[in-house]
Amino acid sequence: MANFANLQVFANYQKYIDNEQEIRENIRIKVREIEHLAKEATIQLQIIHSDLSKIEYACLEARKQISACSNVYHQLAELIPVGQYYRYSDHWTYITQRLVFLIAMVIYLEAGFLVNRETVAEMLGLKTSHTEGFHLDIEDYLMGILQMASELSRFATNSVTMGDYDRPLNISHFMANLNSGFRLLNLKNDGLRKRFDALKYDVKKIEEVVYDISLRGLRNNCKQVNEENAVSSNEK
Amino acid sequence: MSQGPRSRHNNRRNQPKQKNVERSNSTDEQNPVVKAFQEYARELDSKHDRYERIVKLSRDITIEAKRIIFLLHTIDGRKDNRTKVLEEAEQRLNKVIEFNFKSVAQELIGQDPYQYRCAYSPGLQEFIEAYSFMEYFKFGNEGTDALSDWNVLQDKMVYENSGKEISEATDFSQKSVDDTSNDKIESAPMDKDNINNFKFLVDPTEYILGVADLTGELMRRCINSLGSGETVVCLETCKVLQQFYTGYVSLNVQRCRELSRKIYTMRQSLLKTENVCYNVKVRGGEAAKWGAVFENKISDDLDEGFY
Repeated sequence: MANFANLQVFANYQKYIDNEQEIRENIRIKVREIEHLAKEATIQLQIIHSDLSKIEYACLEARKQISACSNVYHQLAELIPVGQYYRYSDHWTYITQRLVFLIAMVIYLEAGFLVNRETVAEMLGLKTSHTEGFHLDIEDYLMGILQMASELSRFATNSVTMGDYDRPLNISHFMANLNSGFRLLNLKNDGLRKRFDALKYDVKKIEEVVYDISLRGLRNNCKQVNEENAVSSNEK
Repeated sequence: MSQGPRSRHNNRRNQPKQKNVERSNSTDEQNPVVKAFQEYARELDSKHDRYERIVKLSRDITIEAKRIIFLLHTIDGRKDNRTKVLEEAEQRLNKVIEFNFKSVAQELIGQDPYQYRCAYSPGLQEFIEAYSFMEYFKFGNEGTDALSDWNVLQDKMVYENSGKEISEATDFSQKSVDDTSNDKIESAPMDKDNINNFKFLVDPTEYILGVADLTGELMRRCINSLGSGETVVCLETCKVLQQFYTGYVSLNVQRCRELSRKIYTMRQSLLKTENVCYNVKVRGGEAAKWGAVFENKISDDLDEGFY
């Protein structure tokens, strides 16, 4: 009976856990590298709020940082034993969401549409399905997209300040699409759900901006708007 | 889909705004965003469904394990029912392995077991508690053997595929888990007939957490046997508890809240048992019983946090 509590078990477990902690430390180093690159890209993209003419340049610079990330992700993927993605994933979910946000922002600024999950995964050098290896988790993708929504509502206000009255309309349309997309999801009561609940405030803010512009006939292609206004006032 | 009316409503609300944008003809079905999100919705749903199914299975395991623990507590030196109860407990535990864990393992074929860890971990821990408690009695008989570690359990939880649910993706994770953790399971033969076998991954951390719960049962046993006057058992359980505690304090684990909480509880149990043994020594079995009744009321509502 005296030997029942086998101390060898604990020694083995200590070995096991030491091994795990070593992997975690290596992961943390790589994640920090990615964080650094993402920070650079974030800084580059801040220019859009103060200078519209530099958007193209900012996107190019951000793209450079993002493609550098894909290398580090590749190294990170090598650290993770196959099939243990979710054992360690808490280390990189946050930064991956951040990068999804950055990519979605860049693509929106360049082309005006919502980047899909496949493209994000491709740009980061990740897979889309966990059976293929180190992948982009769907929830991370969605969280990143939601982050973009708040950034866009800020961008809408600032572009009005800088005299670009067409952009908020474009953003508003884009956000309406996004919103109807998210409504298709059956979200559980988790973090994603909470973040989604905040989306309506971003949508509301943009709609207010659009309202202000339309009310004052401030849009660049004023003629059409005036006609619209005339029609709607007649209806009333 | 149930979202039909909802999205239609949404669409209507947006219409005035979309009128002057050139996309006015885009219906929901053609919208690439909506299309993509329908795909995401499917993926999320299947994940949530699987999660819920595993939670259900895990709950059944928890209930059965708890019952087995109660059963084991009925072992009483006076009634001489040890072999009979042990036999039944072992049988029921094997049944849990054969059926319940098999269903969980089936759900996890081709999945990353760590993704669904929260769903099955309560059941697994409770099961490990019951299993090791059974072993405690079993080896107490012979007096030689020690508690089996996670590899022994892991070996029991390898199942043969009945044939119809063979998937190409049959757990790629199985191999990897074996060669990275320092499991002693020979991974080579496993790999070969991987197509026919699948297993339920017994994570060492879950194992350690489950065994930590065992100490609560040992404490309970100690108190119970004091009640029935078997003071030898009190001293015995106390010794085992002390050893377990030594083992647990020897661990150096970072970032595991759950474990440090359990070690704290374990210390409480340990102090309680040690106090019982002290009373036995000083006052003799008869009087210590009364002390135990008044001082250690907590013994019954000490639980593992779920239920």
